[in-house]
Amino acid sequence: MFSGWSWTVYCLYLFLNICSFEVSGGLVQSCGHIIPESPVLALGSNFTALCILNESCLDFGNIYASQIIWKMKNKVVPKEQYREINITVSSVTFNDTSSLASPLTCNVLADGQIEQNIYGISVTVGLPPEKPENLSCIVYQLSNLRYPMNCTWNPGRHTFLDTHFRLKYRWSRESFPDCIPKSVNNSCTISDVQFFVNLEVWVEAANALGKAESDRLVFDPIEIVKPLPPHNLSVNSGILPTVLKLSWENRISAAVMKLKFNIRYRISSDTNWMQVPPEDTASPRTSFSIQGLRPYTEYVFSIRCMKEDGIGFWSDWSEEKVGVTTEDKPSKGPTVWRTIDASPSPAFWTVRLMWKALEPFEANGVILQYEVTVRAKPPLSHPPWKYNVTTTSLTLKLPNGTYEVTLIAHNRVGASPPSVLLIPSSNSKAPVKNIRTLPKDGKLWVGWTAPNNVLKYVIEWCLMSNSSDCITEWQIEPGNIQGTYLKGDIKPFKCYLITVYPLYADGQGSGQSVKAYLQQDRPSKGPTVQTKKVGKAEAVLTWNHLTVDEQNGFIRSYTILYKTVDGNETAVSVDPSKTEYTLSSLTSDTLYTVRMMAYTDEGGRSGPDFTFTTQKFGRGEIEAIVVPVCLAFLLIVLLGVLFCFNKRDLIKKHIWPNVPDPSKSNIAQWSPQVPAKHNFSSKDQMYPEGSFTDVSVVEIEADDKKSFSEQDLKPFDLLKKEKSTSEGHSSGIGGSSCMSSPRQSVSDSDEGETTQNTSSTVQYSTVVLNGYRDQTPVQVFSRSESTQPLLDSEERLEDHAGGSDGTTQRQHYFKQNCGQDETKIDRPFFERAKQIISANEEDLAGFAQLQISGQSSQPLGFELEENTQEAALPDVLQTSIEGQTVRSETMEGNVPSVDEMPKSYLPQTVRQGGYMPQ
Amino acid sequence: MAAADTPSATLRHHDLCSRGIRLARKMRSDVTDLLDIYVERQGLDASISVAAVDGVPAAAAERWAEQTGTQRLLDNLAAYRAFRTLLAQMLEEQREQLGDADAELGPALAAVLLQVSAFAYHLEELLELESRGAPAEEGSEPPALPRLSLFEQKLRGLGVLRELAQWAVRSVRDLRQLAKHGPGSGMALGLPESQ
Repeated sequence: MFSGWSWTVYCLYLFLNICSFEVSGGLVQSCGHIIPESPVLALGSNFTALCILNESCLDFGNIYASQIIWKMKNKVVPKEQYREINITVSSVTFNDTSSLASPLTCNVLADGQIEQNIYGISVTVGLPPEKPENLSCIVYQLSNLRYPMNCTWNPGRHTFLDTHFRLKYRWSRESFPDCIPKSVNNSCTISDVQFFVNLEVWVEAANALGKAESDRLVFDPIEIVKPLPPHNLSVNSGILPTVLKLSWENRISAAVMKLKFNIRYRISSDTNWMQVPPEDTASPRTSFSIQGLRPYTEYVFSIRCMKEDGIGFWSDWSEEKVGVTTEDKPSKGPTVWRTIDASPSPAFWTVRLMWKALEPFEANGVILQYEVTVRAKPPLSHPPWKYNVTTTSLTLKLPNGTYEVTLIAHNRVGASPPSVLLIPSSNSKAPVKNIRTLPKDGKLWVGWTAPNNVLKYVIEWCLMSNSSDCITEWQIEPGNIQGTYLKGDIKPFKCYLITVYPLYADGQGSGQSVKAYLQQDRPSKGPTVQTKKVGKAEAVLTWNHLTVDEQNGFIRSYTILYKTVDGNETAVSVDPSKTEYTLSSLTSDTLYTVRMMAYTDEGGRSGPDFTFTTQKFGRGEIEAIVVPVCLAFLLIVLLGVLFCFNKRDLIKKHIWPNVPDPSKSNIAQWSPQVPAKHNFSSKDQMYPEGSFTDVSVVEIEADDKKSFSEQDLKPFDLLKKEKSTSEGHSSGIGGSSCMSSPRQSVSDSDEGETTQNTSSTVQYSTVVLNGYRDQTPVQVFSRSESTQPLLDSEERLEDHAGGSDGTTQRQHYFKQNCGQDETKIDRPFFERAKQIISANEEDLAGFAQLQISGQSSQPLGFELEENTQEAALPDVLQTSIEGQTVRSETMEGNVPSVDEMPKSYLPQTVRQGGYMPQ
Repeated sequence: MAAADTPSATLRHHDLCSRGIRLARKMRSDVTDLLDIYVERQGLDASISVAAVDGVPAAAAERWAEQTGTQRLLDNLAAYRAFRTLLAQMLEEQREQLGDADAELGPALAAVLLQVSAFAYHLEELLELESRGAPAEEGSEPPALPRLSLFEQKLRGLGVLRELAQWAVRSVRDLRQLAKHGPGSGMALGLPESQ
């Protein structure tokens, strides 16, 4: 049934093939074929293919071998590689198969134009396998009975072909199934191997291009075993505190393999392993006692094994097991040191004993307490002090002296050897010299030049910081060394103060200190610079030192950098000990920017910028200009004064002509020349001549009650003298004035009407009608307010009059009569009145001085002010002051005659004749 | 005999004996472990007594000390060839019974079978050195074992393993004798050494 169906299918296939000729015109298929069919070729070899045409096609389509075209993946193979073997066979040759590409097809040109495919093959190019190299095998123990063997090799180059590797092994008389790698081509594992029988092992590699075998290995698999490590480790404490016994179980039978072992162990807190000497564990065993361990220390153990004769492989290390040794008494006493504070009283010390807790390897257990014994040395005599403490310090108050301190540490097992510290009364022994430090291997080394016979050294150090106190740490080193590393957490960029004390058997040397850094860095900030003083070409800069926390190293130098806005920066290096520097050669009136850098060995850092402006003028320049100018001015003035003084006669001659002293005149001589016209009747009679156009009348109202005593007149004289010198602003010497009012009006009024004041005004007015000294006479009024002898004579006359008349009366002095042109006079008069007002104001002091006489209790200043205010009114020409009246000469009608004013006071000289024209 | 006289042959002989001894020891150790596994897996009592099994050579020898080296080798070879057949059958029976589910007994049996084969190989090598040559296995092949019941199969397997353990001990002693006297000692090897 089945075979019949197959035959039917085959027949159908043949029929379709034949029909294909018909459908395609007999030119398409089965007209030929290529040999070899789908070849596998070695890369780089040559290759020849033949295209063989069927005979039937020759007849049917006139197709011949000469018409064949070879193509490689649609690319025509050059004709040079063709060769027409006969009418139906064409060959193509490739010298190097690396140029081949699939498919390789054989084609013909039907009817000379249409290309038709005859046949095609797929060409596979590759390499034959290389001989596998480096074959090696190892037997892993997976359990007590399972020993798979894994072999690896180097498969060689890539072949581009499907290459099969087989691991072959056999005894000499018996072969085993090949081991075929899975997914890899370089290793294979044989599930179980038999020991003690030589096994021959090799690798075979094969592909379409060939076959290759590795070298053959012959070995007993027992020689390549990597056993499982021992397991079930246990650690037992031995009798001794330095011994632990390690036990284990082996997982490979001694019948199979005798083992040797490696045992390693470490302290739990340490990462470094130590190892038991291999020769001690080179024989089969299941336990071992490890000796030389530290008491009361936790250890970790591990073990491995291999074949006793060393042939094979070491097992992995076993799991780790922890064991602890038992306690032992402390191996040494704690190192002890002290600090002494003698500040409260020199006679008593506050001694702080401090010691370091023993390291675990020294304590050999848990330290339960410390026993401190302090013994006083002669001359002190005191039974020893004993203390049991659990801390690591003890503070005592002891009299100043020498002591020996003994310290013993106790644990559960026993006591440590004693540590002894001698506390001498003074550090009188030789100190160390040449102390120095050096960072090395991340630690700080301190060295010194040692004195002789040093028992040991104490090195103290502390971290210097602004933010915290200097907490002292210390360590003790033996006396035979001259340098050591500081044992502590020494931080980089921090300053440490290190002090070394030498301890002697009978005393102690003073400490020598040095500052050091483990590692330096740039300062964390730069100095803040500012100006202390700025001049024209210099500026004094100041700054503060960086704090020790900011320094990060030793400040080696400062650099001041300054520049103008558009100028180059100038750098000045400054000694690090200084905090002030003067910049010189600066440009005046210029804005400078300055900053400062602090340098350590590792570099520098800049502080903030600071700006300042230099001054425009230098120090003293202004003074140098002003002072000479002033001096010159003063000199000129002085010279001028001297000149004037020298030429005073000349000046006086021109400006201030000499006025003859009327007092020295002889009335008899010049009385006939008295002017005839005078408003005063009495005067008219006395001076009939018209030499005077007018006569000023000075009215002086004298206090009747008060006589002009000698005492009264003295201050009056003084007042007058002051006026004579201070009234330069008035008409002046020899000046003329119209309507000259009394320059001085001294009023003194009491509360009562009867109270009279002494007021005296001395005014000299000269009216020159004729020309002066033969000059053309000008009608001017001149007034003299000088202290001429005339005044003195007048005053004397007044004195005389006053003395004769004790009643209050008006005293009329000379008054100028400007009656020629009253309208013209109004204005000057007003102006002059104002001058008078001001003069009176200025003369308040004079009034005050006058008042010193005590004749009046009224504030004259107020009175005067009222008076002047009234006088200031332009249309009030008459000023009335209580007890005093000043009248103008224009009020002629009101002027009483001499007879009517018997009490009026006139200078005698006037009465005798008045002024005489000069 | 000439080959046995050469130093290399002596060395080879000694090496074969040495490794044979260690193999026998391991085989003894492994068979002992296998017995425990077998009794447990087959649900047998370790104290059960098994009578002599047909086809299993007995390790005991009446005049063992009087045997020559070659005889010892031939006896050992015959025994281990027999064990190889028996163990192979046991392995097949075990697979039929337990399939691949038992991952312990089957591999252990296979391992012991391999050791038996290896030891037989050793014996053949030694016989070669004795210039005797190993006898053809076909001739000494025992007849096909009769089909047994399941329990009988278990008991027989137990008997095979116990006897193999005995043979392992004996083989160690035989090879020690051979190693002591060197190759070519066709004569009797004298009194047995104390164990």
